[in-house]
Formats: sequence, structure tokens, C-alpha cells
Amino acid sequence: MGMILEKLPGITKGMPGGDLILTTADALIDLGRKQSLWPMTFGLACCAIEMMGSYAARFDFDRMGVIPRASPRQADVMIVAGTVCKKMAEPILEIYHQMPEPRFVISMGSCANCGGPYYDSYSVLKGVDRIIPVDVYIAGCPPRPEALQYAFVKLQEKVAKMSLKRGLATPQQEKGSRDLTA
Amino acid sequence: MTQDELLAKMQKKFPKAAKTAVQVKDYLTVSLPSKDDLIPVAAWLKKEGFDYLDMLTAVDYLGPVDMKGYIRQANFNVFLPEGAAPQAESAAVAGYAYRPVLELVWAFVSMKDKARIFVKLEVPRDAARAPSLSGLFKSADWQEREVFDLFGVVYDGHPNLTKILTPDFLQGHPLRKDYVHIKDRYDE
Amino acid sequence: MTSEAATAAIPALRSDQLFVNLGPQHPSTHGVLRVGLTIEGEVIVKAVPDIGYLHRGTEKLAEARGYHHCVVLTDRWDYVASMPNNLVFCLAAEKLLGVKATPRADALRVMMCELNRIASHLLFVGTYGIDIGAFTPFLYAFREREMILDLFEMVCGARLTYNYIRLGGVMVDVTPEWTAKLKEFLEYFKPKIDEYDQLLSYNPIFMARTQGVGLITAAEAVSWSLSGPNLRGSGVVYDARKADPYCGYENYDFDVVVGKEGSCWDRYFCRVTEMRQSVRIVEQVLAKLPEGPVMAAGVAKIPKPAPGEAYAHVEAARGDLGVHLVSDGGVSPFRMHVRAPSFLNLAILQEKLVGMKISDVIALLGSTDIVLGEVDR
Repeated sequence: MGMILEKLPGITKGMPGGDLILTTADALIDLGRKQSLWPMTFGLACCAIEMMGSYAARFDFDRMGVIPRASPRQADVMIVAGTVCKKMAEPILEIYHQMPEPRFVISMGSCANCGGPYYDSYSVLKGVDRIIPVDVYIAGCPPRPEALQYAFVKLQEKVAKMSLKRGLATPQQEKGSRDLTA
Repeated sequence: MTQDELLAKMQKKFPKAAKTAVQVKDYLTVSLPSKDDLIPVAAWLKKEGFDYLDMLTAVDYLGPVDMKGYIRQANFNVFLPEGAAPQAESAAVAGYAYRPVLELVWAFVSMKDKARIFVKLEVPRDAARAPSLSGLFKSADWQEREVFDLFGVVYDGHPNLTKILTPDFLQGHPLRKDYVHIKDRYDE
Repeated sequence: MTSEAATAAIPALRSDQLFVNLGPQHPSTHGVLRVGLTIEGEVIVKAVPDIGYLHRGTEKLAEARGYHHCVVLTDRWDYVASMPNNLVFCLAAEKLLGVKATPRADALRVMMCELNRIASHLLFVGTYGIDIGAFTPFLYAFREREMILDLFEMVCGARLTYNYIRLGGVMVDVTPEWTAKLKEFLEYFKPKIDEYDQLLSYNPIFMARTQGVGLITAAEAVSWSLSGPNLRGSGVVYDARKADPYCGYENYDFDVVVGKEGSCWDRYFCRVTEMRQSVRIVEQVLAKLPEGPVMAAGVAKIPKPAPGEAYAHVEAARGDLGVHLVSDGGVSPFRMHVRAPSFLNLAILQEKLVGMKISDVIALLGSTDIVLGEVDR
């Protein structure tokens, strides 16, 4: 964003109409949307510690516009960080539906992807994508903070391709939601 | 106080409490003849300085664990040809005396003497009942609920014996060896 | 009619009780704990902790995995301090197998566990600060924590789930570069603890929020089987490292830190002071690190211990962590029970929260320093 603000006045100065820029609404909205993906502070298990590490001093998630919000009403992204147990499945669905659209889901770690080390457990849900649609999967047990940041980069790429023409449908809804209640 | 001194002191008061054949390594382990002895023994131990209920659990000696309690393919070795006989992963060990009992284990700690004693009680699997220690030790509350949830042991006199760890829709007691997992709405 | 009589004449002048659902998604419950609070005005009249939202069935899974595989499962009980988890399982299994770790492996085990204790307590300092309303300590504590994680990463390749302590010893030996970096870190870290004291421990707002709040007497702590800093914060001198030494802890000189009255601040300060003791232990281990192999000979690829029972317990970052193993002579443990300190430390909440103000709930909850992976296992 800073680069645009620095360089644009120089370019637009010579144009007729001054600082008027013509762009598509999609490009403008997607630009804003992808630069401020606010995740919900929602830790389940081990991965949550690495998620906290990402917010902290060394990895400094703020510089990517990622600021954790405590309420699902203010969040865009849900990071499912950790093992999803069957008892927790219902609250996760509830939280997912409390988030405003468009909403995105990052499945962080092997447990949230497919059950991970608990692949044969009686009480673990084998992958959060059985109840909610997932945009980005991160492998690892737990993934490093850099991996989480890379997931956000990939999510930004995905958000940049969103279009108003197709309504407010999020990319994951296009590919078919496996949402149980939706 | 050495283990032998403690055992002698205990047997003076409770002659029926015997040293078990299989000891928990490095610690004194005694078995109780019946569940009626548990409360007096626990009360006596508490009076003797063993006022810290360290652990409370159960062991099911029915046999090797039933693999149907796990959500697994019968044969997960991808290198075997299709239709190969399922590889049993949990087999009975020849010569081990499996028996249809649940063994309840309590561990008491005396912080003063730095001593630890394990108390065991065998109960039948189909009528697993034992008196609750929650009146003597507050920490028995949640641990007994846990054993009730995972093993189905009913603790008489417990104020709130309800499920604690497993979800409400889970049927059965998962840590019993013959537990078979019934598919719920989250299993495909 | 006097005013008292007027008040008495109105029959329903009594506020209704309100049910407040804390969790399972709440930033201050440190995971997926749910507490059902019934409040009357500001005062809590009933508190029902609801756990099991992270129940992964580890004890059942262990019955279908080999002994070496079980070490992987142990990493994920208390994921903030995994080294003691590895250690306690290995100690119990080694008792069954009749194997003894080599002196160098023992020293490395002690060193890693103490470093992990520091890392865990740093996380506590950071998150407890956030719970009380101070965000800055989080950034400082994580800065130092990352350095310890770097050390772990250097030696075993993982930042959080190490699987470093194995049956019979440890995974790999440390290198001279590693010990040099550790010395550098210790010199850097020692003055930082005083910095935390200035920043948070003696911060007037923090002290006002935590001192005299959530008092747990010594008798209550023993009756509820609390352990670790929660027990010692109430003034009970009990530490598994002293009471039942393992891995050669009897050779190291350190103090058992105890609090005075059992308030939230005492429990907090116990942890901060324990970090100093841990630094002392690590320095002593470094000074007399014995030479030799780090893995005992004779540990089978597929261990089949003789039938028997063993119990081992260690002083983990959160308290007295124990593992009760039963073997029937097979390739998997016949039964593994985990004596989880967080599980027992959490149980006291249902009694202690009653009568407290709702603003103090998080102060007490945070000071118990639970990890839900260990509570639910």
C-alpha cells in the first residue's frame, strides 16, 4: 500500500483529471480485503502455540495486516489450529457461522487436515473439512510460524481473484460447501 | 519409613491387606480383599500422613485390546495385495493370565515421609462398583468421574458422577478392552 | 413506613441469576475450556468447568502402538513443555525394560527439561500478562522463548514437539556449537528475569489485580492434589525433583520455591523465581557434563518388556506428571495412565470460583496455568 501511495501521485499528476484512477471495483475491493485479513484468536491445541508465536515479536504478523480479533463477528479468517475433537465440532460450526461473509478457513497442522497422529482415535474428527469448507491447508505437526505466514500469502492470492460479479460467494463456496448445516 | 515398616504397620491395623504379587516397581503395592475395606484404609492412610491422593485409575485385564475400538482400516499396509488377510496388531501374549476383572488403583503420597503407596482393588467387570473417596480427598471428584467415563466404574457416594471427557453421543466406555466404536455422525 | 420496611415489603427485589458461558472459544481460557458460570450481580454463585473438548484418547491409542511410538503421543499432552512428557514415559518404560540411561543422557535430559521449564514459564508470563490486561510482557517473553526454541531446533529439529528423549537415552548428542550458544543465551537471559520483575511482577496494577485474589490455603491445595507452582504457591514444600529424585537431580543444588499465602500473585511469582532456579540447574549441568554415549545399549527396536507394572513421575512445568504403565509382555503397553497435573489443578476451580467477582475469574484461571492438551489428554 505504501508503494502505491508514494508512486501514484507522480504518475497521476500528468494525467487529465488529476488524481482520478480508473480501476475495477473488484480490484479495489480485493486489494483492501486481502491486505487486512483479520483472524480470530482461536487456538485448539499445540498449533495454537505456534500461532501465538507468529503474532509475537520475532515473526510479527502485523506487518502483513494480520491482526488477531477476539470476536468471530470481527474476524475474516478462522485459523483452525489444532486437533478438532468431536465434542469441539459443534462449537466450531457455531463460531464459523457467527463470522461475517466472506469468511475464510485455514486448516493448520496435520490434526486439522486429516486427524494427524490421532488418525485412529475414537474422539477425534478426521479433518476439519468434514464440517466446514477449508481454503488453505498447512502440513506439519505443528507447522512453523513461517508456514502459517505462507498460508496467509496463499490466501491473499486467492482473495485477489475474488469477483463481485459472482455475488458475495467466497471461493470455497464455489467449489461446493460440505457444510453440514448450510 | 521403609516399605516393609509401612506394610507391617498397615497389616497390624488391616490384617487382610496383602502385598500384591505384581508390585508397581520401586513402590509398595497392597491389595484389598473387598471394597468395604477401602474407606477405612484410605481414612487410616490419611491419618498416617498419606494425605495426598496422587492418582486414581483402573486397569482392564480382560485381554488384548479389541481393534474395533479404533477407526482404522483392517489392513493399512499398502504393500499387501488386495484382499489380504487383515493384520492383527494386538495379539494375546501367551502365558499371561488375563482375567475378566477391573483393577482399581489408588496412589497415596505422604509428603512428610516422601513415601508413596499403591492400593489395589479388583472388581468384577459386569458390576464394577467401588466406594467413592470424594468425601476424604477432594481430588477424587474429577478422577473418579474420569474412570467412570472411560471404564464405567460406578463410585458409590460420588456427588456428581457424570461424563467428563467423552462427548455425550459417545456410547460405551472407551478404555475397556472390549470397547467397539460405534460410528457417529462425524465418522464417514 | 421506614425505608427498611419499604424495602422488605417489595417481595421480588432480588436480581435474577444470570448464566454466563465462558468458552470453549475464549481468548483467556488458554485453549478449549468451557466454564459455565452462574452469576448474581458481580458475584459467582456456581461454576461448572466443562472439559473434554480436546480429549484425543491418548491412553487408548497407546494400547495399539509400540513403546517407541508412544513417545510421539506424549509430546502432545503438555505441548508447551514436551520434554518432561517424553521423559516421564521413557522413565516408566525403562523401569519395565530394566534399562538405565547413560550418565550423559541423564544430564542432557535434565538440561532439556529445565530449558523447557523456562520456555513454558515464559509463555505463562506472557499470556498471564495478556489475561490481566498487559500486552507488552507477551512480546518480551516470546522474544526470549524463541531463543530457547532455537536451541531445541538446533539439537532435535523441532520447535514444539521434540520427541528428543527416547527409550534408553536421548536422540542425539549436543555439539560444541550448541553448548556455546546455550552459554551465550544463559548470560543474556539472567538479567532479563529482573526485567520481567520490573515490567510485570511489581507493576502496581498487576499486583492489585492478583495479590490477595484467588487464595488457596495449603490444606485445600493438598486436598485437591494440586502440584507444581500451584501447590508451592500455597506454601507447601513438595517437589518431585527433591522428594523422589530422578535423572540425578540429587546432584544439583537448587531451591524449592514456595509462596506465602497462595494468591494468584504467589503462583505467578513462584514461576518467575523457578526460572532463576532452572538457570542455576542448567549451569551446573553444563559445568559437569559427563562424557560418553547418549544412548544405552540393549534397547530393542521393538521392545517387549516383561509383564509388570511401573510408575514414574517427574516435576514437569505444570506439576507432578506421572505415568502408570502396565505391560502384559506384548509390543504395546497394556495400559497407560497419565497423572496429568493440569487436570487436577483445574478441578479446584469449581470450588474456588464461587464467591469471587467475575472480573477475577480470568485472574484465577490464568494463574493455574493449565494446558488443555494435558487436561483432556
